[in-house]
Amino acid sequence: MMMFGYLLATGITTGALYALVALGITVVYKATRAVNFAHGDLFMICGFIAYSFHVMWGMPYVLSLVLAVTAGFVIGALAERIAFRPLMEESLVSVLLATIGLSFVLKGVARGIWGGKGDFIPFPPLVSSTPMSFGGILVMPQQLIVLAGAVAVMLLFAAFFKFTRLGKMMQATADNQKAAKLVGIRTGRVYMYTFAVGTSVAGAAAVLMAPITLLYPDIGFVLFIKSFAAAVLGGLTSIPGAVVGGFLIGLIEAFSGGYISTNLQDVSSYIVIMLVLIFLPQGLFGGRSLRKV
Amino acid sequence: MRLAFGSRQFLALLFLGLALLPWVANPYILYVSNLAMLYIILALGLNMLVGYAGQFALANAAMFGIGAYGTGLLEVRLGLPYLLAAPGGAVLAMLIGTAITFPALRLSGIYLALSTLAFAMFSQWVLLHWYSVTYGGGGFRVPHLDLSPLPIGPDLGIYYLSWAVTIVLVVLAWALVRSRIGRAFVAIRDGEVAAQSLGIDLLRYKALAFALSGFYAGVAGALYTPLLGYISPEGFDLFQMIIQKSMIVVGGMGSILGSVIGATVMVAVLELLRQFKSTQEIVFGSILIAFVLFRPRGIVTLLRRLPGWEEPLSSFDRRRYVVTAPSSPAAATGLARAAAEPTRGEGR
Amino acid sequence: MKMLSVRDLSVVFGGVRALSEVSFEVAEGEIIGVIGPNGAGKTTLLNTISGLSRASQGEIHLAGSRITGRRPTEIAALGLGRTFQLSQLFPGMTVLENVMTGLHLRTRASALAAAFRTRGMRAEEEEAAAKAWQALAYVGMERFAHRPGTELSFGQQRIVEIARTLIGEPKLVLLDEPAVGLSLTRVAELDGLLRRIRDERGVTLVMIEHVVRLVMDVCDRVVVLNYGMKIAEGAPEEVTSDAQVIAAYLGSGFDAARRSS
Repeated sequence: MMMFGYLLATGITTGALYALVALGITVVYKATRAVNFAHGDLFMICGFIAYSFHVMWGMPYVLSLVLAVTAGFVIGALAERIAFRPLMEESLVSVLLATIGLSFVLKGVARGIWGGKGDFIPFPPLVSSTPMSFGGILVMPQQLIVLAGAVAVMLLFAAFFKFTRLGKMMQATADNQKAAKLVGIRTGRVYMYTFAVGTSVAGAAAVLMAPITLLYPDIGFVLFIKSFAAAVLGGLTSIPGAVVGGFLIGLIEAFSGGYISTNLQDVSSYIVIMLVLIFLPQGLFGGRSLRKV
Repeated sequence: MRLAFGSRQFLALLFLGLALLPWVANPYILYVSNLAMLYIILALGLNMLVGYAGQFALANAAMFGIGAYGTGLLEVRLGLPYLLAAPGGAVLAMLIGTAITFPALRLSGIYLALSTLAFAMFSQWVLLHWYSVTYGGGGFRVPHLDLSPLPIGPDLGIYYLSWAVTIVLVVLAWALVRSRIGRAFVAIRDGEVAAQSLGIDLLRYKALAFALSGFYAGVAGALYTPLLGYISPEGFDLFQMIIQKSMIVVGGMGSILGSVIGATVMVAVLELLRQFKSTQEIVFGSILIAFVLFRPRGIVTLLRRLPGWEEPLSSFDRRRYVVTAPSSPAAATGLARAAAEPTRGEGR
Repeated sequence: MKMLSVRDLSVVFGGVRALSEVSFEVAEGEIIGVIGPNGAGKTTLLNTISGLSRASQGEIHLAGSRITGRRPTEIAALGLGRTFQLSQLFPGMTVLENVMTGLHLRTRASALAAAFRTRGMRAEEEEAAAKAWQALAYVGMERFAHRPGTELSFGQQRIVEIARTLIGEPKLVLLDEPAVGLSLTRVAELDGLLRRIRDERGVTLVMIEHVVRLVMDVCDRVVVLNYGMKIAEGAPEEVTSDAQVIAAYLGSGFDAARRSS
């Protein structure tokens, strides 16, 4: 039971991380029908920016979070202008190649600036490090904060789509690009904001997670693959699907690592996604078939 | 008037130069040239899969690793001589490449990218954790190449072996893409629906493209083993993926010559930046972005502007099919023109 | 002999009925027009016959063999050719290579034979090129043989597509709007070409066409679809004076087009 509780808590916490990153992948896919392979590295860069503000320059944690999210917004918009928009009319392959290129540029930049400084971002002292017990399940307070933060970000995100003008425009563009253009939405600009918002969410995720996960330049791409897997699990066009897919991948990793073999933790998500693509190509929530007619 | 210099002459000169290199170059240059030849093989295989058949798969680095590990392990674990182990490693990569991608064959676009990426990560994990077979993260040493009774040392031995194998594989790839097989690949890349309605079996030709690229990557891996004398999982990671991708983009997607040029150029860049991992990443990433944005068909498009330069997808004698007489005005608009015999020019 | 028989064919896409219980037959050597307003299910009909879309119900026979549910590749091997509404020339090949690709099923060289350039493979390649050249000459396009397909106008691309299909010696060819983008003189030429394909090569044709003149001139019979249902079938003159057909076209200018032609 101890073990189960521990694994559950870990699975949900990492799952929240995957869910937040998968959200960004999903909104970009919905809008553009392409995947940004640099999304994980944008996450990583935001994490390091927060690290700089908080650890290196001693700013408060919350301020660093705000700054990292803002930086994410700007970098995401830039990434769209550089590696995405000029290629929208070209083939999918060129878009994927360009974002793969961008992913390595970001990784190299991070290695150049922060390389070897991989670290945790310390939490503000008000959180104690003694585990709390919920019906026999031990939970680290940090995990609770992370989870609460993640849920808050998800709710904000949903509210953004539901209530803001920009969110509605994004939704309209994703549903029907041509119609959106006809009613006067500047779809190019909407794509840019989609990228920016997706990256901000990744930035928030990075700052939330960094107190628990180590931050290092290579984390981006690995995280991207797992979150991409989560997004596909959720059907790739469904935002709730991406969230559920994220938690599922997190739990699968935690439990396969805990009950089968520690070594399996890293690789289980890859096995799962290969199996899903073979046997369940619609994902769990997507309406669209992945197979070409 | 056609220029007598084309892709064929270019390649002949390049390999002649490589044959003579050991007389003038120091061991380091020789090693780098040898490495370049292996990357030529890798780029050829990847280009047939991605550039010609249009399958955006990301598992090529893994196939490279499987070829290298297969060869090395057959030597070390089973005591096979290199000349038996190497084909074994190459065929293993081809088989795994085809088998693992079979489910992927039904997927397209980003799903194919994801499933092959997941496979690449999975195989990396196997190399790291299946310690009892692969020796884990530390890797292992492989014996020197022994070509006795040939009077040739291990370094020159692997150099000339790579040289000969590379030439053979360039020639075979060249012939393949200029046949009905190559045209079937391009048809699938350019329009799956039209390809199917012409009777081209998508599954079969995608599988063939995967098998070919697996085999080429496996051969490169088999040659890599004695060149390095040491194998570890690191050589086959994600960075390997971007190295190979950038090679075919820089050289030219869908071009055999482009694969050769791209591999050569990028190995030079790789070696110049050897000391600095972060600079390597930034440079390779930037080059990839820049080429995709500004020269998406690669360096080879510059050569194609030369008069007489051709890289057709068919190997018939073109000179026989030229409209010589200017068409009459009626014929010029005429869809309804009587069947004409091919105009025979100066044949061979 | 029946070249094509479609019986009670229905196609449903996610709850939407694209075709319902369509039946018709095509005799060998006929030229059949399929007409109907936009969204009537014409392209779906061709797609289902060629195996690109799945029939929900009903049967299709091609020259006596049942082809319902078979893969497009198999159906092509049984003698079905197809051209597309949006031209599907392969942009990465020259015009001649495009047409040579149409010989895929008629050539044999394996990957090994191709890689080692065996004598048989080279002879086959030369023969394929000669045949492709003849096919291009047959449609009057050999001047463009060595140009990339993308340099041609859409109308020309569609004519090359016809050559690419013909070279595989199909028994039945489905044409999806072959006259789109052609000038009036060109339409007249296409008219002649389609007749020659039937008369000289014995190929049966089924075509979707909006250019009324072409339909009236070359088609032996016309099948009219509306909302996925067959609403009329018969000789072109009969069908175009059918009250139901005129009603289906009201607002889409069919009547006006008919008068002007």
